[in-house]
Amino acid sequence: MAKRRMNRMPWEFVIPNAFASGPTLADAAAPPMDDQAFAGFYERSARSLWAYLARTSGDSALAEDLMQESYVRFLCAAQRPSHLAEGDVACRRYLFQIATNLLRDHWRRPRTSSIEEIPEDFLARSGESARSDSQMTLGPALSQMRPRDRQLLWLAHAEGYSHREIAEVTGLGSASVRLLLFRARRKIARLLGEEGGREP
Amino acid sequence: MMLLACSREKEVKELVERGQWPVAEATAPDLHAHISGCRSCRELALVASAFQRARTEAADAAKIGAPSVLWWRAQLRQRNAAVERIGRPILGAQIFALAMSLLLAVGVAVWQARHGFAWLTRLQQAPQAATQYSDLQLSQWLGSLWSSALPNSGWNWMVLLSAGATLVLLGGAAVYLASERQ
Repeated sequence: MAKRRMNRMPWEFVIPNAFASGPTLADAAAPPMDDQAFAGFYERSARSLWAYLARTSGDSALAEDLMQESYVRFLCAAQRPSHLAEGDVACRRYLFQIATNLLRDHWRRPRTSSIEEIPEDFLARSGESARSDSQMTLGPALSQMRPRDRQLLWLAHAEGYSHREIAEVTGLGSASVRLLLFRARRKIARLLGEEGGREP
Repeated sequence: MMLLACSREKEVKELVERGQWPVAEATAPDLHAHISGCRSCRELALVASAFQRARTEAADAAKIGAPSVLWWRAQLRQRNAAVERIGRPILGAQIFALAMSLLLAVGVAVWQARHGFAWLTRLQQAPQAATQYSDLQLSQWLGSLWSSALPNSGWNWMVLLSAGATLVLLGGAAVYLASERQ
């Protein structure tokens, strides 16, 4: 309470206790996640979320932006699953759902990037010779896949989500996920086989 | 397209997750033999192992920032949303006050037009009244100006009350907005 009083903003003197009596946006559905609990959840989930965003978008700077936005939206969301009642798994799935929607919005948006928007180390990174093994093999194959297929494949094979969970994250039907994933897996297996010089 | 899923896909997936494919053949020789012969399982093992490796490497390479910054940003966004929510009824009150003022102004104009704007001709005498009339004459003149503007005395208080209420409403909103900016 003392902390709240100390951090009071000027307008709160005009309308005193505007927050103290009523619930905030996040309080509406889920019990509040305090900063310590959030820090723990962030430590456990940030790396895998970044990996998902970076590998499916192919742009690490974009992945960083979208990751930050995903966490902020996660904290502000009224329908966020309760960290205490439903645990890390539900929170994580919800976080991936936000990130998936953000990625989809990004792909839908018309491209209007100027030269100023390109990060300074972009060219250095593009020509980087020390790319990881998986990037050398999976990267070219992923780049030939449709964005949605990349998301489905990552969620299924890197995150280990079931068809039902993927349906929840992507907003597709379970039956559609099964069919799309089957086709995507067949295609990427063929591409990986070609990359590796062998029949899958 | 036929969805030909093998019944052993779950086992294959677990084998890959444990990191026992394509190495460690001795741990599950029959499954390794099955993967070699089954197209569906071979595809699954190839794709799953590639994605598992990619995930591990990407997660290790991730540069993640401090959670406190995100926490602070979320708090700020929530506060802004709350301010916007609180401001919505005030905006509604302002629109209502403006609409009422306009309605009142139109009503008064129509009403005055019916009476031929008699007070305007009296108002033209104002400079003369200010210089030539005594205090008593001036107060009488002001009284006649008032009665010519509002001939029906029953309505006088109604008009004054509505105008006052509108002013108070607008004034309150203006004071609130000024303090919010500060």
